[in-house]
Amino acid sequence: MMFFLLFLGLVALVAIDMPIAIALGVVAVFAVAVTSGLAALPNTALVLFGSTTKFPLIAIPLFVLAGAIMNASGISRRLIALASALVGFVKGGLAMVTIGASMFFAEISGSAVADVAALGSILIPEMKRKGYSTELAASVTSSSATLAVIIPPSIPMILYGVMSGSSVVELFVAGVVPGVVGGLLMMGMAYMLAVRYGLPVQEAFRLRRLAATFREAAWALLLPVIILGGIFSGWVTATEGAGLAVLAAIVIGGIYRGLNWQRLRTAMIEGGVQTAVVMLLVATSALLSEFLTEQQVPQQVAQAIVGFTDNRYAVLALLNVFFLLIGLFLHSAAAIILVVPIVMPLVHAVGIDPVHFGLVVTLNLGIGQQTPPVASVLVTACSVAKADIWEVTKVNVYFIAVLAAVLILVTYVPAIPMGLVNLFYR
Amino acid sequence: MPQSRIARFRTGFGRVLEAVMLALIASLAVIVVLGVGFRKAGAALVWYDEVASILLAWLTYYGASLAALRRAHIGFPKLVESMGPRLRRFVLTFRETMVLGFLLLVAWAGWKVMGILGGTTLVSLPWVPARVAQSVIPISAMLFIIAELFGWYDASRNGTGNDGEGATR
Repeated sequence: MMFFLLFLGLVALVAIDMPIAIALGVVAVFAVAVTSGLAALPNTALVLFGSTTKFPLIAIPLFVLAGAIMNASGISRRLIALASALVGFVKGGLAMVTIGASMFFAEISGSAVADVAALGSILIPEMKRKGYSTELAASVTSSSATLAVIIPPSIPMILYGVMSGSSVVELFVAGVVPGVVGGLLMMGMAYMLAVRYGLPVQEAFRLRRLAATFREAAWALLLPVIILGGIFSGWVTATEGAGLAVLAAIVIGGIYRGLNWQRLRTAMIEGGVQTAVVMLLVATSALLSEFLTEQQVPQQVAQAIVGFTDNRYAVLALLNVFFLLIGLFLHSAAAIILVVPIVMPLVHAVGIDPVHFGLVVTLNLGIGQQTPPVASVLVTACSVAKADIWEVTKVNVYFIAVLAAVLILVTYVPAIPMGLVNLFYR
Repeated sequence: MPQSRIARFRTGFGRVLEAVMLALIASLAVIVVLGVGFRKAGAALVWYDEVASILLAWLTYYGASLAALRRAHIGFPKLVESMGPRLRRFVLTFRETMVLGFLLLVAWAGWKVMGILGGTTLVSLPWVPARVAQSVIPISAMLFIIAELFGWYDASRNGTGNDGEGATR
């Protein structure tokens, strides 16, 4: 009953546009005051402080900062030129370039919003010039940016890892194959749409041009090698890899001569604000999680669902529907922080590998970034393209269908996310 | 207070928070890189993970105040936007009262905890009082309150109940 009232209170506060982080804190404090009395309230400060001092979470501001620095140093243009030389010769080449560049950029930034803001401002106007409809240009940029949350490094995966107690490195490795499969399927969809709408090729394939763009982008391509190579080989932890990414981004930015103090300053402040927004959610949700755990709510949820079915595929189907619905209304970070601690006992009870489940959650919430009314990535793409969200969604459904297909593959063919993890870490 | 003085105070307040953010994020990056370097050189820094974690907490709370000033916290504005002006003003007043009440409670709790911590120090740096690390909670709660008051002032001035220019929630 208490859980139901808390949920209702939370929904009501969020509905009146209270910041979700504060709404979580308000209902948690109210619940603690009612059940444990006012004397328990000073504990609020200790929980708020302690929940933000988790060492793995330091990777979040550092990856955000590395991505922002690389973007400020002109890396986007180099990645686009390379992707254009690589796949621009196919019909609808510019859409493929967008998807290819998104996959490269995802290996650096870890944030889909950063991805769409960095690439969309260059590629959307270019696509419009080449005869793409505004809606198609916005939808291909938006949906391909979602690859950033499954291709490592990924901020939602770091959050999931901390919330579920799973290895962030294993989650990163699990994202590699689904990310590549998703990218290739999206390119296939872009090709089909290009044929249907008679869209042009971007440029003829020339080996000399490919070599030149590769040389230009070589330093930028070194960054994912440093980040992922260091983390996957165990040479550094995910957090330390993020620190190295910042250092490498500054060095590479210097080599490209694209970095100046003003850009760096803006990138650092923006990165800090983005981090703080997510971390405040982590902090206040810890208040609520502590209360729910004391009341054994996660265990009760697990028992209720296991009483209904203990088939892991049926439970995965239920959780998929649940996360897809949540993704319609909640930002991915908020959804992970709120829901993952509650469903983890259920995941363990039916024998689902937490790393496998992490990919399922991440992909679900990636789809949520594309589905209005709350669709952070789609909104950014539409803002860059100056397009109506609902008109873009009519085209974007094709790409959402691709992401849904990847989700089904990841959910029901565990070898796709877990093959590399089992090969190297188990 | 005249409008221009409020605008000047707001700009100065934002600049101070930005300077704090810059210092914190740069320190965090430098400390993590130094930590890796020293560990690989076989001379691990004992204080590195504790100090880096505290910097993350400071980044979170001072950054949250800056995010509040920029109306950048994640919310769901659709329903409020669809309300009539009178209902919207009522909802805004109720919402801001709840937010300010929560922040005042956090500031009070943070102040209480600082008293309770007494002479406790950090584990890896025994000459640093734990109160210094924990001070972020009451201080940032007060900064957050100032940022919220600016937002409330904007919303009251434009008479719509909206959060004013630059709202990104």
